[in-house]
Amino acid sequence: MTDWTFRPLPDGSGWAAHLAAEERAALADLVDDVAALLDEGRPAAEDLPGLRIGTGPVEPPRDPAVRRLLPDASRADPDVAAEFRRLTEDDLRTTKLDQLGLLRRALTAEGPDLVVRAADAPRVAAALTDVRLVVAERLGVRTEEDADAVVRLAVAGGPLHPADPATVARRYLAAVSLLLSALQDSLVEAMLAALPDEPGDGRHGPDESGD
Amino acid sequence: MPPVALPVEDTRTEDEARVAPDHGWTTVVWNDPVNLMSYVTWVFRTYFGYPHARAVRLMLRVHHEGRAVVSRGSLEEMERDTQAMHGYGLWATVEPAGAGDGAGDGPGEGTGAGAPGDG
Repeated sequence: MTDWTFRPLPDGSGWAAHLAAEERAALADLVDDVAALLDEGRPAAEDLPGLRIGTGPVEPPRDPAVRRLLPDASRADPDVAAEFRRLTEDDLRTTKLDQLGLLRRALTAEGPDLVVRAADAPRVAAALTDVRLVVAERLGVRTEEDADAVVRLAVAGGPLHPADPATVARRYLAAVSLLLSALQDSLVEAMLAALPDEPGDGRHGPDESGD
Repeated sequence: MPPVALPVEDTRTEDEARVAPDHGWTTVVWNDPVNLMSYVTWVFRTYFGYPHARAVRLMLRVHHEGRAVVSRGSLEEMERDTQAMHGYGLWATVEPAGAGDGAGDGPGEGTGAGAPGDG
């Protein structure tokens, strides 16, 4: 059955979720869309791929969805934000494109299940986050109430009117959003359960007592 | 007899000058309606190496108060943490320590740049 839940692989090397072929294809298309957004806004590498950060300021992305993926690193200090963007944006685009590529390969791999190896799981979870952020932005989700409304829309059912393509598209995106949330939550819960009970941590200081 | 200089005072000033800049910045993670509580907890556990209870507490602070300081250190270290948070899809900013630190800032959140398995 298709319940959008990751379960441990028999050999313990990761997790698998059974998705219908059309669900996997829809998600792969969406991953491609997000990757294209990240790729097309990229400053031209020209012939100096290693020297991108030596160039001038990098303008913040105009598309709000891309800007959510590559947000300002300071609310108060434009200089800090601009310098951060100049130094990191290209690396972040590369990181995110790599993560999306991993998710895409998992979605389009042979076999009935969406398989995520434990070693790949952190990057797959991050890619799922980026896709969810873009979908939420396209659905206009700004608040928790907006997010709840998307869930209600996805589960509402009822007739769709072909003459109202915006509503059709919105309900489709809401359904995809629900699928992505369910997949990510079950994957991350499995990843959390696989962590050691208490990682070695010498970093919390005495000032934390009583908190 | 003329008073002698006060080297103790000078020494302390040097110490402060040497130490203060290393913790003059923070990484702040902001709430958003998309990221899952489980995922934010997982990021705080694995990237910063925080124990589960602390990671959950920070996640809840982000969720309920809108923001939380997750690490402290030099500007360069905080930019590294912020870049990592953006890589995970969390919205983080670099903020000067003490400036604009509201109720969301616990006194002991973060002791430096995080690295997986640090400590």
